Amino acid sequence: MKREIPLLITFIAGFLIVVALFIPHPPFNKIEETFNSWYIIVAGFTFILGIDSLILHNWEKIRRRSEGWPFALTVILSFFITLIWGIVSGVRTGHIFSTNSTFRNYFYLYIYVPLQATMFAILSFFIASAAYRAFRARTLNATLLLLTASIVMLGRVPLGNVALIPVISIAVLMLLWVLVDELKYVTSPTQRLIYIGIAVVAVVAAFPITKFLYHNLSPVTDWIMNVPQMAAKRGLFIGLALGGIAVSLRIILGIEQSYMS
Amino acid sequence: MYGLTIFMTLLAFRPSPVVNFKVVDNPNDGGGRILITWDYAPDADLSEVDHLELLRIDKPGEGAIVVTRLSTVARQFTDSGLKNGKPYRYFLRVWFKDGSYIDTPISPPVVPKAQWFHTKRIVGLVILVLYGTLLMIFLKKAKRGEELTIRPIAGLQAVDDAVGRSTEMGRPLLFVLGLGTISDLATLAGLAILKRVAMKAAEYETDIIVPCFDPVVMAAAQETVKQGYLEAGRPDLFNEKSVYFLTQDQFGYAAGVDGIIMRQKPGAIFLQGAFFAESLIIAETGHSVGAIQIAGTSSVTQLPFLIAATDYTLIGEEMYAASAYLSRDPNSLATIKAEDWMKVIFIVLILIAVAFETASAITGNKSLSIFPKLFEFN
Amino acid sequence: MNTFEKLAQIDRRIIYLILFIVVAIPFLFKVQISMKPTSDVVEAYEFIDSIPEGSAVIISIDYDASSMPELQPMLEAILRHLFSRNIRVLLMSQWALGLPLGQEAIEQVAEEYDKKYGVDYVVLGYRPGLQAVIINMGRDLPATFDNVDYKNRPLKDMPVMEGIKNYGNIAVIIGLEAGSVGDLWAQFANSRYGVKLILGATAVVAPDLYPYKQAGQVVAILGGLRAAADYETLVKHKGAATYGMASQAFVHFLIIAFIILGNIGYLASRRKRRS
Repeated sequence: MKREIPLLITFIAGFLIVVALFIPHPPFNKIEETFNSWYIIVAGFTFILGIDSLILHNWEKIRRRSEGWPFALTVILSFFITLIWGIVSGVRTGHIFSTNSTFRNYFYLYIYVPLQATMFAILSFFIASAAYRAFRARTLNATLLLLTASIVMLGRVPLGNVALIPVISIAVLMLLWVLVDELKYVTSPTQRLIYIGIAVVAVVAAFPITKFLYHNLSPVTDWIMNVPQMAAKRGLFIGLALGGIAVSLRIILGIEQSYMS
Repeated sequence: MYGLTIFMTLLAFRPSPVVNFKVVDNPNDGGGRILITWDYAPDADLSEVDHLELLRIDKPGEGAIVVTRLSTVARQFTDSGLKNGKPYRYFLRVWFKDGSYIDTPISPPVVPKAQWFHTKRIVGLVILVLYGTLLMIFLKKAKRGEELTIRPIAGLQAVDDAVGRSTEMGRPLLFVLGLGTISDLATLAGLAILKRVAMKAAEYETDIIVPCFDPVVMAAAQETVKQGYLEAGRPDLFNEKSVYFLTQDQFGYAAGVDGIIMRQKPGAIFLQGAFFAESLIIAETGHSVGAIQIAGTSSVTQLPFLIAATDYTLIGEEMYAASAYLSRDPNSLATIKAEDWMKVIFIVLILIAVAFETASAITGNKSLSIFPKLFEFN
Repeated sequence: MNTFEKLAQIDRRIIYLILFIVVAIPFLFKVQISMKPTSDVVEAYEFIDSIPEGSAVIISIDYDASSMPELQPMLEAILRHLFSRNIRVLLMSQWALGLPLGQEAIEQVAEEYDKKYGVDYVVLGYRPGLQAVIINMGRDLPATFDNVDYKNRPLKDMPVMEGIKNYGNIAVIIGLEAGSVGDLWAQFANSRYGVKLILGATAVVAPDLYPYKQAGQVVAILGGLRAAADYETLVKHKGAATYGMASQAFVHFLIIAFIILGNIGYLASRRKRRS
């Protein structure tokens, strides 16, 4: 019974929501809204569970003086200071975010906002290091990705077209370097000819390509974002939607039970 | 005085800028609403119009009441809070800047009512029925014991190795379920992978840490890990406190997880669930301590970051297939097979639609453009 | 290991330090780079310019402090445009902690243009429920907010709310997005009720919203700091976005430089391995 009743509730709830999608007539039109309200109420109570876990977990660390316990103390203190300050400020001014609320003017604007902005700003450092590490021309696909990403990055900022000139020049020089290097190991004359051909084409095409991109960088960037990028993304979305239906059906039909173990 | 009369008469003959004034019962709803739509004449000078007023006549013979005041940006209005089965009549009053106005003809009476079927969702129903039929076929096949194979998924094959490696290094495992709630499919898929990781952790006697963003997910994760240890035959090793709530603030959560990574230096990190801007903050920190990382998410915008920063990434639906893949349960595999066939149907449909749309664009024949209308869904 | 090979293994702390310097310098010296506004921003600007005076628009703050550097300048520039044209503004939020950011901006800009709370603008507040809120606003806008503003003052006493019943009375909804609420505005507010939509989003989120632009569900999409800077140019009031653009441009160049260095190092080490 411990398993059957939750499975039955899942089946009925899931089935009703699917049916309600196609029937606008009352009472079906309110089913999703009602279930959502129930979820919000239940989720509200589970916060107690979260707070209980947070405090016990950190209190345990302090009690045992385990490694990094001062951090745990900071968590507990911050939690209670925020909670009490918020309540007092809200009661005194009518709303915690009133213009004369000290919670808003000191805590929110001068502690919370800078902390959030700092954490988000760290992202730019990580993007730089991840890009540096991951964008290596290991294969043809990786090289194409690298070139496209560079064009988009330059196309999204002012003076990108000016910066494009040295970037393309260096890219061509690197290509030549690789080709000259490869020629040492290639023995078949046809392959040698192909390599030399690629080198010549790259050198000859570099100028017109640079010239074209210099004048059309913004439209080319938009095209990359709106056509190939969007096409790949839509493919992913369609796959996700179908996969989502499969998971939902597994859950509604009780095939998938790992979420309740 | 005489001049003014002529002027007023001329004003009265000013053509109404509003054309195609239509009043209908609001379609596909639970009743109580009427949809009013209109256009502006192409040659109308809207700069002379001050505003519009929508008026309603509730009972024949009674005066009209103003429903709302509108600007010339509006081309439709849904009147709500009406009684089902009762007739209503409407007209629009166009007020000009000089203080004069002109009315549209009064509409015929319209009765609001509730509908039993949402006509704009018929395609959705067809897809659902088709999907259901395919599912039944494959479930039957699975029951008959026919073998259903799906392609190998590198990220899932690496799960066991990652746990093993972490054990060898004597470091704990970190499992991050992301920012999703229990109603996110990505979180549910993440939980299925967590169970497998917990089983392996129990087998190898390695610690597992699961910091959570959502209290409901935390409760589910505790149960999942417990079940994993139980199935591995080591319930004695399960420590409920290793699955705990961190915070429900996005960057607070990222900071917390980063702190755990820096202090505990896990040997393997699993990022499985719904991720947003914090994905790379966690993944790069994980990389900096030399952990092997396996990510999986349905958040398309975060995939490029995770692919760049982690060792393996389950892309979208691969993650959804994880529980079926790991459990090898024939019924679950049947749903994946049905999904694959649906995909084939969609690819064919897309190709046909592209052909029709292209033909319509080239020939200029609008009647060929049937698919956009057919697949309208709201 | 020779010099070239070392380029493949630059310590990440060195990368972070150089990045920090490159971001900070343009800010410290207020470097400005002039640019032509992109067509999307011009479309949004022209649309807002065509709204008749006295109309009402909704601005939804669907971001919080972490996305503030990108979206707050956008909000301020749009507010300047709206207030200069005497358009009524109804401010709301779908992110609980985003509301104070919206308030901060609207109060500041309203003061510049001598606009009064309750007459020219109102802060409706935050209500949980996401799409349920959007759908309910289409039925009865004031009732969705329980007929009161964020401080529980009745909306019916405020001239700014005069004649506002549902989306039919709203010229455009401007959603500023750092997450997935933009999809909901397009799917529910536009698809179901036909209300016009302009979505401003962070650079990461914007590509997700372009399908709605292509499908004609959104008037225009303002993407990232660049769009904010362009809007500042159009309203002729330079602010944080314009100054930030120089930093952003230099950082993009720097990252490309790092990618090139990394690849030179990679090619050099590959060559060594082969020989």
